[in-house]
Amino acid sequence: MRKRISASLFAEGGQICCATCSRQLAPAGGSWKTKVALSTVLVGQLPGAGTNVETRVVLRRFCCPQCGHLLDTETALPEDPFLEDVVRV
Amino acid sequence: MKGPSMDPVTFSIIRHRLFRVVEEAVITLKHVSGSAITNEGHDLMVSLYQADGSLLMGGVGFLHHLTSAAEACKAIIRKFEGRIGEGDLFLLNDPYTAALHTSDIYLVAPIHHGGKLVAWSACFVHVSDIGAMNPGGFAPDAQDIFTEGFSSPGIKLVDRGELRQDVWETILNMVRSPEMVALDLRSMIACNNVARERMLALIDKYGAPIVDAACKMLIDQSEARLRERLRELPDGHWQSRQYLEVKGEIYKVLLTMTKSGDTLTFDFTGSSPQSKYSVNCSKWASLGGLFAPLFPLLCYDIVWNEGVIKPITMIAPEGSIVNCTRPAPVSVATVGAIQSVNNAACSTIGKMLAASDKYADEATAVWHANHFAIFMFGNNQRGRLAIGILTETFAGAGGARTFADGVDIGGEIPNPISRMANVETIEAQFPIRYLFRRRLTDSGGPGQYRGGAGGEMAIVAHDAPDGGIHYVVSGKGTKFPQSEGLGGGYPGGVNDYVWIHAPHEMHDVDRFAQSLDTIPGDSESISWGVFPLMGSDALYIRWNGGGGIGDPLERPPEKVLADIDAGLISERAASEVYGVIQNEKTVDGAATKTKRTSLRQARLSSGAA
Repeated sequence: MRKRISASLFAEGGQICCATCSRQLAPAGGSWKTKVALSTVLVGQLPGAGTNVETRVVLRRFCCPQCGHLLDTETALPEDPFLEDVVRV
Repeated sequence: MKGPSMDPVTFSIIRHRLFRVVEEAVITLKHVSGSAITNEGHDLMVSLYQADGSLLMGGVGFLHHLTSAAEACKAIIRKFEGRIGEGDLFLLNDPYTAALHTSDIYLVAPIHHGGKLVAWSACFVHVSDIGAMNPGGFAPDAQDIFTEGFSSPGIKLVDRGELRQDVWETILNMVRSPEMVALDLRSMIACNNVARERMLALIDKYGAPIVDAACKMLIDQSEARLRERLRELPDGHWQSRQYLEVKGEIYKVLLTMTKSGDTLTFDFTGSSPQSKYSVNCSKWASLGGLFAPLFPLLCYDIVWNEGVIKPITMIAPEGSIVNCTRPAPVSVATVGAIQSVNNAACSTIGKMLAASDKYADEATAVWHANHFAIFMFGNNQRGRLAIGILTETFAGAGGARTFADGVDIGGEIPNPISRMANVETIEAQFPIRYLFRRRLTDSGGPGQYRGGAGGEMAIVAHDAPDGGIHYVVSGKGTKFPQSEGLGGGYPGGVNDYVWIHAPHEMHDVDRFAQSLDTIPGDSESISWGVFPLMGSDALYIRWNGGGGIGDPLERPPEKVLADIDAGLISERAASEVYGVIQNEKTVDGAATKTKRTSLRQARLSSGAA
């Protein structure tokens, strides 16, 4: 049975899947972010960045490795771990 | 013991009367107060409490005060046991007892009926000044609580209806603008008086047992309804991380919210140790901070009372930035660690709601996440000392929702009635002139649904007897975005504070610049401390937008184009973030498709995490 995980993810058959292309990404019930494509961009390089933004802070973009859909983002310093969001299924 | 039986109509009438009691007390507070921060910015709160101090009817205003004022009532009950009389009124503003910071003064009043304590009313305003190191209450220069002004863990201000003149004069003797603080205090006294009168009228009409039974039913009902809602939501845990920066030091508020069955636990383990700067907050402040978004996001149709509090647990490590120990400074807490707790709780609750088919439409990205809280002070055009906040800090910006964009300049989650004053109101109080004030391009977090835009403004001194004015800035949001996105949405922009040093030849020349780029002079980014606004110098401020939701490449190109036309996003953002290419003010469909494909490919070329 298909269960919603977020606006961009669902779980089915014990797997977390991309809501756009249904690609299986990671086992359900755990962290999925290490199993998908990650691209980072410096926040200071984004349009509209302020005059005083921390030079090291990045926007992590977690993407479906199949369709490239953006699944989640987080603002982070490079040394900080991924945020863990786990829905019990 | 079973209480009196009650028909549902009577219950409903009493419930609504309680709402009206609070509402009328809020109106009283606003009408009597002379401070823009209260009657324009709505930095206020009024609520009713049970005889034991627990929350009975949470009112509007800054919601992180609802639980803290409950603790204030309980502290007064403990401290004044056996000495709480009819017509008494108590003042409390110690952050280590219950308050959020010293300048948010609680006035709490017992309500007696037939000689018996039956309830409490409580309210707060951010008083004009509290005698801290820096005018206005936010004290970036403070090194401990002792330098943050007058602080009371509980004092009787009114004794059986008689104002204690000695206490009154002592307080006013310790603040910079005693006449304004007196008006602030009188507005709260009036507010409590109205709350008491209306509560007594309610009890006189229905009888104390019936009203008491209705109140207990309300609390039971709220608890049952929230627990039912929680059971409908998925179990799991969600995290959020907020960064604050002060003078080169970086602090984190880390939240793990765990939902299990009909309970929610907010665990701040992993947050930074307490700071030497005044961005810390006490544990009561953190508790209030997490409830501020919880009330509107999970209890939008549930009465905000003690019943809502029961299913919630908070873990806040002692000695951390979210549970600091005395005498750590906390005067910037409400726009520092508390607001980060607000944001983190908003983010995790949003993620939980987004994981539910039933409640996904209630999810939101983080709203305006960072007050800029600039307090100006100095002699105004009438030669009087003026101290007050730039109320644009309350203008806010809505976070995106799962079905719509966030509202531009759309307020904030912790205060459903926050707003900013008219430009003319501020110009009438302070010797300044606005150059411009408007929505800010590229401030709303990109997404399929865009975060609401924040704003930008610039001011110069005008008609100032001393050649200008000074201001206190407690900025800690210029380095890191704090309005987190959701489900692939980007965060909203950051705050900025720019001191533009006028070129020498520009002194004493009026200017009418319409953007930061066209204000002549050398720009200096500032964020923490006291600064002058003198001569022809200018102060430019921008405030953050709300977070976005969903992949920006999924935003309909026509909406992107409309955003460009409205000045809400730049052509650069349209191309680089949204992948939309224009051709003579229309969407170039083919080029847009190619661009979006290439942007998706670029994401994938980074490989697995």
